Amino acid sequence: MSQCESGNLFATMLTAAQIAELRAAVGPDGLITGESQLQTYECDGLTNFRVLPGAVVLPRTAEQVQAAVRVCARHKIPFVSRGAGTGLSGGALPAAAGVVISLARMNRILEVNIPDRYVVVEPGVINAHVTQRVAPSGYFYAPDPSSQSVCTIGGNVAENSGGAHCLKYGFTVTHTLALDVVLPNGDLVTFGSPALDAPGYDLAGVFVGSEGTLGVTTKITLRIVKRPEVVQTLLAAFASPQAAGQTVSDIIAAGMLPSAMEIMDTLAIEAAEAAVHAHYPMCGGLLLVELDGPAIDVATLMHETRALCEKNGATEIRVAQSEHERMLVWKGRKAAFAAMGRISPNYIVQDGVIPRTALPEVLTEIDRMAAAVNLRVANVFHAGDGNLHPLVLYDHAIAGQEEIAIDLSYRILHLCVDKGGSITGEHGVGKEKQQALGYMFSEPDLATMQLIRCAFDPDSIANPDKVFPRARLCADRPGPYAPHPLETAGVAEIF
Amino acid sequence: MPKAAARTLPLALTDALPPLAAIAGAEHAHLNDDSISISPANAGQIAAILGFAREHGLAVTPTGAGTKLDWGNPVAPRIRLVLDRMNALREHSWQDMTCGVEAGCTWATMQTALARHGQMVALDPLWPARATVGGIVATNDGGPLRIRYGSLRDLIIGMTVVLADGTIARTGGKVVKNVAGYDLHKLMTGSFGTLGVIAGVNFRLHPLETQSRTWTAEAADPSHFEAPLHALLDSYIIPSGLQIRIDAQHCALDLRVAATPACLDEHAAELTRFFAPISICESSETVLGVRQNLFDQSGSVLLKASLLPSRICSVLSQLRAWSAAEGTEFTAVAQGNGLVDIACKAASDASIALIHRLRPQCSSVVALQLPAELRNRIDLWGCSSSALPLMREIKRRFDPERILNPGRFIGNI
Ligand SMILES: Cc1cc2nc3c(=O)[nH]c(=O)nc-3n(C[C@H](O)[C@H](O)[C@H](O)COP(=O)(O)OP(=O)(O)OC[C@H]3O[C@@H](n4cnc5c(N)ncnc54)[C@H](O)[C@@H]3O)c2cc1C
Repeated sequence: MSQCESGNLFATMLTAAQIAELRAAVGPDGLITGESQLQTYECDGLTNFRVLPGAVVLPRTAEQVQAAVRVCARHKIPFVSRGAGTGLSGGALPAAAGVVISLARMNRILEVNIPDRYVVVEPGVINAHVTQRVAPSGYFYAPDPSSQSVCTIGGNVAENSGGAHCLKYGFTVTHTLALDVVLPNGDLVTFGSPALDAPGYDLAGVFVGSEGTLGVTTKITLRIVKRPEVVQTLLAAFASPQAAGQTVSDIIAAGMLPSAMEIMDTLAIEAAEAAVHAHYPMCGGLLLVELDGPAIDVATLMHETRALCEKNGATEIRVAQSEHERMLVWKGRKAAFAAMGRISPNYIVQDGVIPRTALPEVLTEIDRMAAAVNLRVANVFHAGDGNLHPLVLYDHAIAGQEEIAIDLSYRILHLCVDKGGSITGEHGVGKEKQQALGYMFSEPDLATMQLIRCAFDPDSIANPDKVFPRARLCADRPGPYAPHPLETAGVAEIF
Repeated sequence: MPKAAARTLPLALTDALPPLAAIAGAEHAHLNDDSISISPANAGQIAAILGFAREHGLAVTPTGAGTKLDWGNPVAPRIRLVLDRMNALREHSWQDMTCGVEAGCTWATMQTALARHGQMVALDPLWPARATVGGIVATNDGGPLRIRYGSLRDLIIGMTVVLADGTIARTGGKVVKNVAGYDLHKLMTGSFGTLGVIAGVNFRLHPLETQSRTWTAEAADPSHFEAPLHALLDSYIIPSGLQIRIDAQHCALDLRVAATPACLDEHAAELTRFFAPISICESSETVLGVRQNLFDQSGSVLLKASLLPSRICSVLSQLRAWSAAEGTEFTAVAQGNGLVDIACKAASDASIALIHRLRPQCSSVVALQLPAELRNRIDLWGCSSSALPLMREIKRRFDPERILNPGRFIGNI
């Protein structure tokens, strides 16, 4: 992962005239061009990629977003939307000499409709604020990325963000009813509606998860969910993450659908303990199961869950006894990434998905791969849906170790794909995994996705040179079908 | 034959038959009065058939069992691409709760196989015994279970699609959580076969609902359900089906809930409270199947309306009043999520008038099925979406020669 220069398809600097047009679009207090201020925007949560943008605009309205995008369209200037900049794949990384459109000032909750269970928000609204707003009525906004106290709904929509509870409640896309979008030509259009099944193609479904490459969303209608009667969280200590993983499979096989099932290994427990003192039992594999629903149901299912933990050799089982204890359990889990700093000078956060049943095998293989290059990998994962977050620990000060760590992290992704999984479950492809996308999908698959891209953005000015393995031009046509390497190897099949 | 020449001279069906038969086998290609029916064995054959259709400018309608071919604007295809041979459940990873199925598999065949491991695709579409996965996905059908499990958008995790130019593309994958690349399958779902031929679909699965109870309440007018419906939707009860069915004389609300027996007992007591003074009684879960009856009446006008749930009762009351005024006979089934199917038997003018009255009251009203004589009197899709130019552009990128169901979809896409 070296520094990247992505603007070579475009001009290398914004002209004074272009800057003046941008100023006219968003007003003088909505434009940043000074170098030191621009530096705030040079990266997102993936900090080893940095590019200085040409300008940042801070629109307050959809009309201002339109005006800024029209300037970009007129001059074919690349633009990158930005929420809170917490993305972990370089999605909000600016294009050199491009424009960053920060949605931070569009942060109003426009409508709360409890009887019809939706809210309408601007893209800069912080995820956690939605739940805060509807909680007094007994509702919540379900997608809960660990970054929820800072990340924005616009960023969530772009990444189709998940969180611990998406096992039961689904992802951002599950909860997105309608979107206003400024297309890369500056047109403002509406996808979907607060009522279901708006006639036409499901463009809201397509836009969610498109990582800022199809336009800028300026208004979002989100579904809200009734808060369950009871929520209970169980912690169970096992000798290994594999044993914890087996318990997860058994819970699923018993026909239960907990709201969350998370696993942490020893390294992750150590780090989380050091950071937030969550009082986790020290063990080889810690399983966290959250059940919610009607009180009677939860009691019955909690009983079954306990029995399955015991069957798989849990050495300690605890159920959080108060809301305070439960929050502490989650605090430890949500702090796990950041806590790695306590046990390692540097680390890479990876995000891969495997079929749940491959868990024991993949964990063993990751251990073996790490040992072979003398590195440690901490594991934190959304076990219920097979979403791994291997954290590759290394020391930048040791010559060559960063490259080895990066290589290991990519090989782990390839392993996920080889086992029938995905290179990303929630952090997106962005800048970081462009090449890995080419490992997961074959050329015709990618060319087909490009048809969508070109329909929205024929000049490729919206977040260019992200997601796809190489810069493509909209004149490219998909070629004939060629078997994916995985198919020829007999690992996967087309049907 | 040079391509340019082929385009200017429309190919006679009799001339098209031998090359098509060579692709799928003579026993799988048949000449009809106005078209050729051809049943490919795999995605590669679909690609070859589409390649041939494109070269000769022949319109293609991908077809499963043909249960919903009347929906949308009429198309007169020269090639009926029938997916009946591609009907296998290819994979059921029951421990991962996912499956992969070919598009021509009937819904019931798939569900029966999945049920062996106590699982299901959590959707209850029309005509399950005949309708195929591909057709259900292309029309985005779904029944009462949607209120609990969501729509196909939430259940499909991957797809194999054959594009008009023969490209075979995969999207998504076999895992439930996956944000790699664009979700092409979301674009395909509900696209009425206008963007590509769905060859296979991967689903996430849910456990079968083993214990459930169903209750029914009757009232003179839907307005009596307003308060109980609100209380119910705002409660901790999680319906696996909730509908109001209504015609000129009757009006009833049905609720099905799946939970542990103890929990269901608790709900029963709560429901009595919510519905008082109306009485609510235990009934049979077969009542949730009445949506199907609407679609089985031949010759009716069939509408799919969508509205916000809080408007259901008032719109149903109005619907009853209008039908009385227009002298139409109607039956409607409104799901608790705001999707309403309406069947009406009426003279042309009265039907059209009813649609015009409904449209301003609803978020959308699509005339799924209209008698032939009405079709050119009204826009079936009835929608002026600001995104229509973009939808047209997507169609142009995917199918520039317009061979896939030309004209069928919104805005004559
Ligand atoms: C500690 C930590 C924990 C995290 N945990 C999780 C987790 O549990 N689950 C999870 O899914 N993610 C997680 N993330 C990743 C990140 O928080 C999410 O991807 C989040 O959705 C990004 O939101 P943001 O507002 O910071 O967006 P940014 O990082 O600013 O942008 C992300 C992408 O969205 C685009 N974008 C932003 N706004 C718009 C808009 N209005 N219109 C169009 N495109 C737009 C950008 O161009 C960019 O491509 C975590 C990150 C951190 C730092």
